[in-house]
Amino acid sequence: MDNQTFIREMFSEFYNKNIDRVEIPKSIESREFGFTLFKESTMIRHKGFMRAEDLKEFIKKIVPSNVYYSSAYYSMPEAKMDEKGWLGSDLFFDIDADHIPTECNKQHDMWICRVCGLKGRGVPPTICPRCGNLGFDEKGNIIGYRQETWPCEICLETTRMETIKLIDILTSDLGFSISEIRCAFSGHRGYHVQIEIDEVLKLDSMARKEIIDYVTGTGIDARFHGLEEISHSGARILVGPGLHDFGWRGRIARGTYEFLLKATAKDLRGLGLRKEVVENLLANRDMILESWKASGPWNMIKGLGLRGWEKIVQRGIQFQSAKVDTVVTVDIHRLIRLPGTLHGKTGLLKISFPASEIETFDPLKEAVAFKGGEARVYVEESPEFRIGEEVFGPFKEQTVNLPISAAVFLACKDAGKVISYNV
Amino acid sequence: MEAHSTLRLERSGMLTLSDMAKYPFIPEAAEYIRRLDFKIENLLEDDYAPILSRAEKRIIDALTTNPPKVGYNPREYGEDIEIISFPVAIVLVSALANENVKRRYALAEAKRAYELLREENWEKVIEVARRFGWRIRAANERIGSVKFDFALNFIDYLRNISSFHEKDWKLVNRPVLKGEVYLSKQDVARLLQEEIQRYIEAKIDPKVRSILPEEILKHLERLRQTCAEKIRESPVEDISSLNSIGVVGDAFPPCIRQLYEAAQSGRHISHIGRFTLTSFLIKVGMDKNMIVDLFRKSADFNERMTRYQIEHIAGERGSGTKYTPPKCDTLQTHGLCPGANDLCKKIKHPLAYYLRSARSLKKKFRG
Repeated sequence: MDNQTFIREMFSEFYNKNIDRVEIPKSIESREFGFTLFKESTMIRHKGFMRAEDLKEFIKKIVPSNVYYSSAYYSMPEAKMDEKGWLGSDLFFDIDADHIPTECNKQHDMWICRVCGLKGRGVPPTICPRCGNLGFDEKGNIIGYRQETWPCEICLETTRMETIKLIDILTSDLGFSISEIRCAFSGHRGYHVQIEIDEVLKLDSMARKEIIDYVTGTGIDARFHGLEEISHSGARILVGPGLHDFGWRGRIARGTYEFLLKATAKDLRGLGLRKEVVENLLANRDMILESWKASGPWNMIKGLGLRGWEKIVQRGIQFQSAKVDTVVTVDIHRLIRLPGTLHGKTGLLKISFPASEIETFDPLKEAVAFKGGEARVYVEESPEFRIGEEVFGPFKEQTVNLPISAAVFLACKDAGKVISYNV
Repeated sequence: MEAHSTLRLERSGMLTLSDMAKYPFIPEAAEYIRRLDFKIENLLEDDYAPILSRAEKRIIDALTTNPPKVGYNPREYGEDIEIISFPVAIVLVSALANENVKRRYALAEAKRAYELLREENWEKVIEVARRFGWRIRAANERIGSVKFDFALNFIDYLRNISSFHEKDWKLVNRPVLKGEVYLSKQDVARLLQEEIQRYIEAKIDPKVRSILPEEILKHLERLRQTCAEKIRESPVEDISSLNSIGVVGDAFPPCIRQLYEAAQSGRHISHIGRFTLTSFLIKVGMDKNMIVDLFRKSADFNERMTRYQIEHIAGERGSGTKYTPPKCDTLQTHGLCPGANDLCKKIKHPLAYYLRSARSLKKKFRG
């Protein structure tokens, strides 16, 4: 049996039994919906539903591989894009391991050249080493590489840390209450964070860009956060932000502290600091860290002036910024995955939860859609993966018996072939 | 702090007649005029001549000063004249039905208000801001070496910085706590200028022309002749139609497209934004006169200065350096990158985007 038929059958069964797990968005009548199917490669877009029941029936009938809805509200969601009548849009953030370089992607992520089929691990190259594919064809069309990525524990933990940073900035700095923030595991490799209160709906792209720059620390100039040279009883001295200051001021100080705590000679040389300065910094590391209790380390290192500190501080900012996909937030017409529906690349659910539970939420347990059943699967190649409480693999060219959830997962990843199954 | 400021506000909640003369766009001023039972037809009576003349002066100020600013002289005009002449000027500007005049007039009135607000005490500034629904309060907060008098809801802040691109206006470079941005009086006045400008632009509705008495329309004709040069609308090429002059507008990267459209519609563009757009357009071979025309709609347009700057960037003046637009990194830092698309991810410079994209488009046309 081919994988697609198997997956579709499983998805169909899931929706028939669990259609009420599909979460109906606020103001369903103003949202645009989009669906991808198993057979056709094009997306069904510009669909609208007046009632929750209509949407549920539609999903059961067509059995989509992915279900999306617009973060935007429209007066006519089914009209053409420029005639829909944009009314507003939720404030939406996407944190995906694809945008965060993790150490483990070399082990589990794979790229396949779309021209010659060469496979490799980690981040795809700019030029294919075999056929010289530049990512473009001669007409300038983008070809690039097909990527197979895995929702591994380390990647998911990284995205969780970024989500926690994001939620902290949204509450401490931007003043949203934790109950106004909805989180979701995307069903694949990351988290979604969404704010639906009236106040944010009318924000235009420019305003959203400012918000995204704020949470990612883009365009910060430390001079606006207290890092400056002042004259003090006749002498020029440096002053800078403190650990307990609010907003980015405090974040800059804390990030700088964090960076200096771990920085190696190589890190510091990489910033273009002179050798003596680097040695001086490392030799006095304890004193520097201690100095944050008083007025900070700004004047402690001979030869390290405003310019040098600015470079160090920029590294500190990286520690504190939340790694959010910038394009998604700024796009006020974006389609996003509907919570309570299955992800076509994993067979896991997109599952929403209150932001206050982000520390303890276990995505690979909560998102499991298929309970029970068993399948016999030939696995071509798969790294270790966890579904629910159980860890599977790594597998290479072997036939194994797996629970349906794991079989669907491997089939979706195209890493194996389902031979037989019973539910 | 909270209780303290509420108390002070209750005492100072009223805005006086002289405040209405300074800020004639506040609702109290409209209410005052309603009570006077003033009608547009009254303008033709001799008693009202000073109002009509002040209204015209407001518009002439806006069109002839640079940067545009309506004057304020309480000794020359009484409060009533100052208050009533504002909506009259709005009607006249509406009837002129010209985008240049509309934008320039709104800017000039907003600038007038800005300069007055800068000199006000904080209670007054807060009162005016609240007329626009701003969630603002007195703060009196010292952060480092700087004292901040105001705390403004960050969404109200964002709504008013969209035309600024200077680094220090970026939200990320501001002290932000619990949803509030800490600001100086100067900053609040500047942000209010934006709000006021938008408010006035929205009030200007060309449909009023049809209800104006003949006599007023004649006045309008004279006004139009006085400022003929300023009123002239200049044709600006649409991006896609640039193809006819050998510039592949459709191949512009998103950042340049955004700047081009901003210039086209006369929105404010930062210095670095203008530099980026101008150096880009020169590099792709656009004619300098067309670039001048592109900036013509800008509210603070000055032809001589614009031409000088363009020639400077083209390397025809000064040191002779031909300037190249900044690379993507720099544009991102300055908030000029509207977000990368797929092609953006492959390049590091807007010109590289253009070359690649233009090449593929040309091939497509050739089939």
